[in-house]
Amino acid sequence: MDPVLEFRSVSKRYEQEGGEDLVALREVSFSVPEGRAIAITGRSGSGKSTLLHLAAGIDVPTAGKVAILGRDLSRLDEGERTRVRRDSVGLVFQFFHLLSHLSVLDNVMLPAWIAGERDRDAEPRARELLARVGLGSRASSPVPKLSGGEMQRVAICRALLRKPRLLLADEPTGNLDDENGRRVMDILLRLGGEEGSALVYVTHSPDLASLADETWRLGSGVLDRP
Amino acid sequence: MIRVFLRGLAAHFRAGRTLLILSVLGVALGVASVLSVQILNGSALGAFEGGLRAVSGEADLTILGKVPTVPDAWVREAMSERGVAAAWPVVRTPVKLEGPGGVFLDLAGVDVLAPVWFPWDVPPGEVAAALGAPGWAAVSEKLARERGWAVGDVFDVSSGSRRVRLRVGLLVDFRKVSPLAGDRLVVLDIAQAQDALGLEGAVHQVDVKLSPGASRAEVGERLARRLGPAAQVLTPEQRRSQAAGLLSAFRLNLTALSLISLLVGAFLVHTTTQAALVRRRAELGLLRSLGTTRRQVLAILVAEVALLGVLGTLLGIPIGYWAAAANVEAVSATLSNLYLLEGIGSLGLEPWVLALAVAVGLGGAVAGALLPALELSRRDTRALLAPFSLHERVGKAAPRLAVAGCAILAGTGVWYAGLGRGWRPAGFVVALSLLIALPAMTPWLLRTLCGRLRARGFGLAYGVKALGVKLGTTSFAVAALGIAVAMLVGITVMVGSFRRTLEVWIDATIRADVYVTTESWRRARETAVLDPAVVSALLRLPGVRSADRLRRTRAFSGERRIALVGRDVGMPGGEGRFVLIEGDRADAIRRVAAGEAAMIGEPLARKAGLGVGDRLPLTAPGGNFEIPIAGVYLDYAEEHGSAVLDLSALESRFGLAGLTNVDLYLEPGASPERIMDSIRGRFPDAPLELLSNRRLREEILEIFDQTFAVTRLLQGMALLIAVAGITLTLLVLARERVSELALYRALGASRRRILRVFLGEGVGMAGLGILLGVPGGVALAMILIRLVNRAYFGWTIVPSWPVAALARQAAVLLAAAAAASLYPAIRASRTPATELRRDDL
Repeated sequence: MDPVLEFRSVSKRYEQEGGEDLVALREVSFSVPEGRAIAITGRSGSGKSTLLHLAAGIDVPTAGKVAILGRDLSRLDEGERTRVRRDSVGLVFQFFHLLSHLSVLDNVMLPAWIAGERDRDAEPRARELLARVGLGSRASSPVPKLSGGEMQRVAICRALLRKPRLLLADEPTGNLDDENGRRVMDILLRLGGEEGSALVYVTHSPDLASLADETWRLGSGVLDRP
Repeated sequence: MIRVFLRGLAAHFRAGRTLLILSVLGVALGVASVLSVQILNGSALGAFEGGLRAVSGEADLTILGKVPTVPDAWVREAMSERGVAAAWPVVRTPVKLEGPGGVFLDLAGVDVLAPVWFPWDVPPGEVAAALGAPGWAAVSEKLARERGWAVGDVFDVSSGSRRVRLRVGLLVDFRKVSPLAGDRLVVLDIAQAQDALGLEGAVHQVDVKLSPGASRAEVGERLARRLGPAAQVLTPEQRRSQAAGLLSAFRLNLTALSLISLLVGAFLVHTTTQAALVRRRAELGLLRSLGTTRRQVLAILVAEVALLGVLGTLLGIPIGYWAAAANVEAVSATLSNLYLLEGIGSLGLEPWVLALAVAVGLGGAVAGALLPALELSRRDTRALLAPFSLHERVGKAAPRLAVAGCAILAGTGVWYAGLGRGWRPAGFVVALSLLIALPAMTPWLLRTLCGRLRARGFGLAYGVKALGVKLGTTSFAVAALGIAVAMLVGITVMVGSFRRTLEVWIDATIRADVYVTTESWRRARETAVLDPAVVSALLRLPGVRSADRLRRTRAFSGERRIALVGRDVGMPGGEGRFVLIEGDRADAIRRVAAGEAAMIGEPLARKAGLGVGDRLPLTAPGGNFEIPIAGVYLDYAEEHGSAVLDLSALESRFGLAGLTNVDLYLEPGASPERIMDSIRGRFPDAPLELLSNRRLREEILEIFDQTFAVTRLLQGMALLIAVAGITLTLLVLARERVSELALYRALGASRRRILRVFLGEGVGMAGLGILLGVPGGVALAMILIRLVNRAYFGWTIVPSWPVAALARQAAVLLAAAAAASLYPAIRASRTPATELRRDDL
């Protein structure tokens, strides 16, 4: 069976005007099987965000292969990569990125709308997810009324709505206090596990990294795996 | 500071090239709209004034009759008045140039031997020819070029049933005298002109030159006293202002419409400035934190916008001139057909019009940008460096703005009911309050309507819902569209209602089968008299059941110039010709036919405050008299008022012989075409104009449509600006919402889906503009019909609703909005997911 996410000798360089290319990733290889939670740590500028962008198909590698469920993203055009992301990947961001003009429920429903799913199919699932993160009663609330922790829980529900096989989280607790951060991380791991999604998350915190099945370290574009 | 301004300028304009182009276009179209109308207005008056100067030259005063012609003995009378150095007679009338094309010439008869300086010279060798050679005429070089005439060539003109052969004796460039003088002027010696027009012992005006030091006012007063009530003595300025008065309503309406386009353009500038300021808040915040004062920040912003205004003005001037040139024919026709004035020979771009263009371009741009610029210059440094919460603040202010809008409307309504009703421009004030209230209500309406929309799915409806979020940007575009749509709907309903009312009136009053007049009647009216022999033959034609004989002339009721019609009021079966809105028709017809009373048209009744039971003052050659008013009839032919007397009463009171029109009613089964052929056969050389009932109806409606041609151009310009506003707003939104769009892309939204969302936003803006503009337009139509029209024209217009035309316009607007959204939608759809920034969703 194909791994959910596979990097094979992936390098990413950014051209810089009037200077040497910036190498964000060097020959990175790994694979993440279904249900597995991976934490990636590293200092700022170590290439963590680049790795997540490549994993989500938002960006393409300069060399090497990135595959989701066996599909080589570098062979797909931009539209096909978008479809893969829409159907197989869930994203959680450090700054939540909820739309303030939509209600809590509508924010969770957004991926279903984008995918053209019918409300009657997606809404029960959205409500169920909100209930599972303790926000069942806040479905109609406007987003700006929520606390930071609540917002991130909504963002997790949004990421999970379409049952993605791969869940990517970029510093999901970076904008929360310790207590809320811990709680959100627990939810992310629990729900990801219950849904059977592979989870790759980036964090600065050794404590939160230790909650994952494995912790990998990224330094100067090189992935250090135990 | 200047260095900061200059160095930043190119970079800012490069960064927002499309925005810059659109806002320059907005200013340019606003300027063009105002400019084209002012050029046309100015040229219309210029044509009149040019003709006046070319004929009357250095005359200090002109004596005109309040009756069609004045005795040439007035020249002697004038000469004997103290302070008069010279007086000379003038004959002026439009004549029809024989041949195809329906060209009219302005024939002027002047005394070439008058001891005064004329604006053009008859060379000494030509004076004898001018006096003695039959038909000698001075014509403009341009006319001669157009017609292929050379000195010595002959051409025929007609005045009423008279046909006169003229000879090109001299080519004159009248425009050297007056740049806007018409090129249709033909000048004859006075005696030749009198002879040609059959004006024995009569002239149309007497020009007067004063002795040095004599006061124009005093001499004018003495001359008026000496010559009696049938004379009016005017200075050239008074004559110009009389012509301006004739055209005042027409000019004012066009000016008001053009200002709406400017207003819509200013909204566009506002949107652009706001977008630019939002983008540059950090830069401005940095400048402030480095010690730049608020005043300096404001100066930078205003200078940038002023530059935009200058660019818009530079582009708007040629567009405005082009728009005026494209409409000169229609306006010229309106001047000739409705106001009987000279057509526009050439367009004049006077310095003050250019100054006005600069003022409206710069003023519009600065006014559009002033609010956001002031606000930004006042904010403290920290606020400038922090994310901008413009939309949130507009959202919070929305209910207050809506209440203010309602209060403006209510306040204006109360003011109108109490004080404004009697003031002529009050209708424009009410219309202006509507145009202010509409934008004020827009944010609240937008937020409420979009907030209630159940947008399920990520497509068009989602886009519409999103409009209610970025109120700071979308409100202005929707408000601009709302105003443009209100203008479109208002004018369409008003013009549609007017046309429908006219059709009903035509059905009721245009009942004869064949209308006979002369070719020169269209412009000359009172001097276009039918040969009595032709008239008597017409009345005896086989197949003719009865005939309505008419003599139209111009008369004065007090100081008001009106059209006076003498006709066979008592003609059996002809009652339907008069649709009375006041008075009993049978009784009125009986009294008027007996010569005891007159009927007056609605515009005269409204403007002079006259009605049944009042007495109509009239000036006849014998002096002033009054006649009871027996009825008020609907009249859409004469904006300045008309009255009807029985033909015999007109003849006896005014001493007018001859008819200008004969309307023939045929026996049942008789063919109008056959009768017209028979008339043409009997009078092959007479310059007659014959119109069937159907053709006359068509012609009236053609003239009506021509009159509103400029209106359509102005509507189009306002709409074009508003549609450009959609593109501009969506571009602004695409820029403001980069992070949001990147999120959609990160969540898997394809480019096509984002394109659809943006198309939804564009079409949604148009839809909301329509939703806002339609009730606004209906209200505007009612204001135009009930207040403005009645105050300025005095017509009853029955509202009718051209639903099909409005639906067509809405469909066109939506399609235009979709097209206008395409480019920004494509740009938005190209936003990469990597643009997801940290905290600015």
